[in-house]
Amino acid sequence: MSRSLRWRMGRVAAGAWTLIAGLLATFALSGGAFAHISSNGFLTVRVDGQHLAGSLEMAVRDAELAVGLDANHDGKVTWGELRAAEPQLARYLSEHVMLSTQGRRCDIAFMPLEVNDRVDGHYAWLPFEGSCAQPIHALEIRYSVLVGLDPSHRGLLTLSAGSAAQTAVLGGATAQASFTVFAPDRWRAFRDYFKAGVWHILSGIDHLLFLLSLLLPAVLLRKSGRWEPVHAARPALIGILKVVTAFTLAHSITLSLAALDVIRLPSRLTESVIAASIIVAALNNIFPVITESRARIAFGFGLLHGFGFASVLSDMGLPPGARLISLLSFNLGIEAGQLSVVLVVMPIVYAVRSGLFYRRTVMPWGSAAIAALAFVWLVQRAVFPSG
Amino acid sequence: MRKRRGKFSRAAARGLRRLLMGLTLCAAGPFAVTTGQAAAAGLPYVPASDSVVLTEVPAGATHRSTPSLALTATRLDVALPLAEFDISRARATGDLRFLGYAEAALAPWRDRPDARPEVLVLDATILQSRHAFDASLLELDRALGLRPDDAQGWLTRAVVLRVLGRYQEAASSCERLRASADPAITSLCVQSLRSLTGHLGDAYLAIKSLSTEQLPAEARAWRYSELGEMSERLGDSDSGGHWFREGLAVAPGDLYLRTAYADWLLQQGRANETVGLLADYQSMEPMLLRLTIAHRMLRDGAGTGAEAQLATAFQLELARGDAVHRREQARFLLDVEHDPGAALSAAVENWRVQREPDDISILLRAAQASHRPDAAAPALEFLKRTGLEDVRLAAYRGAN
Repeated sequence: MSRSLRWRMGRVAAGAWTLIAGLLATFALSGGAFAHISSNGFLTVRVDGQHLAGSLEMAVRDAELAVGLDANHDGKVTWGELRAAEPQLARYLSEHVMLSTQGRRCDIAFMPLEVNDRVDGHYAWLPFEGSCAQPIHALEIRYSVLVGLDPSHRGLLTLSAGSAAQTAVLGGATAQASFTVFAPDRWRAFRDYFKAGVWHILSGIDHLLFLLSLLLPAVLLRKSGRWEPVHAARPALIGILKVVTAFTLAHSITLSLAALDVIRLPSRLTESVIAASIIVAALNNIFPVITESRARIAFGFGLLHGFGFASVLSDMGLPPGARLISLLSFNLGIEAGQLSVVLVVMPIVYAVRSGLFYRRTVMPWGSAAIAALAFVWLVQRAVFPSG
Repeated sequence: MRKRRGKFSRAAARGLRRLLMGLTLCAAGPFAVTTGQAAAAGLPYVPASDSVVLTEVPAGATHRSTPSLALTATRLDVALPLAEFDISRARATGDLRFLGYAEAALAPWRDRPDARPEVLVLDATILQSRHAFDASLLELDRALGLRPDDAQGWLTRAVVLRVLGRYQEAASSCERLRASADPAITSLCVQSLRSLTGHLGDAYLAIKSLSTEQLPAEARAWRYSELGEMSERLGDSDSGGHWFREGLAVAPGDLYLRTAYADWLLQQGRANETVGLLADYQSMEPMLLRLTIAHRMLRDGAGTGAEAQLATAFQLELARGDAVHRREQARFLLDVEHDPGAALSAAVENWRVQREPDDISILLRAAQASHRPDAAAPALEFLKRTGLEDVRLAAYRGAN
């Protein structure tokens, strides 16, 4: 909030005041718990061939300004008053929101009024159906709600056709606009989100270190308190497969749940637990507690790593009309990145498994280094989450 | 505790519904149709009875007041006071719709080739309130070209340039006040800028010794807010709190002072008092933000509804392309959502628009939290270039 300074009001001719004073000073000002934001209207249109369906929303307060709802002039608008003014409101909206295609106006019929609650108050919600003279390839919209009364009013449009959706801001300088009704470029969304997934796993060293901590012992066997190399590739492969699959399954579940807004966890918690998971996995290599079912650790903590992936996705946002494909390709990207690391690292690890260097040095000291690094992360993330 | 669980399970149920809907659509073949609307609301409904009150209409926003709006097209002596009234309502209540009403009253006069300077200055004030600073400056330059001794025009120009961090130009605007404004106003303007350009201690003493008894409450509130902010920049927190309290005693309706005092209380860890200070101001996003932070500090679980409300309101502003609360949005992302990356993006965006000490602070904090010292460079360079003194920012200067 910056200070705005006006230290004197303009001089007003007495006559002018009497003209406006009576209109202004009628009610006490009220605060209320709704947010004070600039005036918005909401226009949702779904296009199907030459048919249209959707809804128009106007704040009750804006509707009062535009058509007058407060019949008893008590400074309050009730549901009864709004309902009584429904025909006027519908007429106003059909004069100020015009949908057409190829220059010909589409016929719109409003259905019964309801109320919708939004962050800045109650809205009059008018569903509608309609049809145009021909199939809609380009929809032209004229939007002039509150013109002359509140030039800062904007209409927030969501236009969808089939699986594609687009949004736009109407009003102000954009009193009229034309929208091509198109399907989204799914292939492009797929490519972009796949790349983002690969990039994230390759640059997100914490996820990889967790996985590696679980994979380092996959080429070994725990026998009477000592690490012994596995003798064949098969058991090693099965161990790797189990861990990777469990990790993938777990983080895919939570990534999907978080990306679709089913569950949200505070990032401080997930980031801290991710760091803790690395410590657990790494320490387990030095002081083995769980030797046979590391897949369980992979699964349990993998659930938390999924939330970590989701926070990246929520920064990017999921494009409307291609949400699921983007989610899927992001996840596939993560798996591809993860798999490429496993394919590079594990053959090397397998090759050197028999040497003492691997069992006595890489396993314990490598794990200790990973645990130490993760401990620093844990402190950073848990104690100083934002600096 | 019980209440919070209730809230969580409701949210979970809602989420589950959404997931099931998504899965159904997915199974049906095509990918999910979503509106993608930034501020998706709940489902529409029919209120329980005719007597349910849907809104209270503030004075000046009724359909009955529209005839006076019609008069504004032909009578400047109606248009000007009406716009002034609307602007003062917007400033007193934080209700941004009133800025739109003011704009409507001025529009017929603003767009004429022979627009009057007082119309242009008022329009510039509206643009300033919308944080459209460049457009505001253009309008002011037009006005001051027509009437070079328009004190309000020069003062508004000084304020806008100051927000933009263009201190030299702002100081020149202050100088132009000498000819036609009250000497105390001129002095406030001049000294407040000196305080930002390497003369903090001097400027503080000069403003402290300034007598503003003859001035309207608004100018006195300005003096108190400057003194409070300068005290804080000097590192004298106790005096800061003292000046903010004095100011609020003189001008309890001054939202700028109230916000500043709320921040001061939060800084002191007196979140309880913040809650009391802002309880009646929840409809304003900057106030609601501080209230939310206070509830976070108190860990009383009372701010969760407000968090969702703020997130939605910020999203709507972004969807509209408004820049009004970008600083608050950055702070919300950093201090409430704990999302340093997003906070940094918002702070960088905000830095493009405005450069007040609080804008510097949020950019430095967000850059540090996301371990991106490079992102803080413009703010540090700004501090160095202007000589702005602020003990609270000194730590960042050292750290980077």
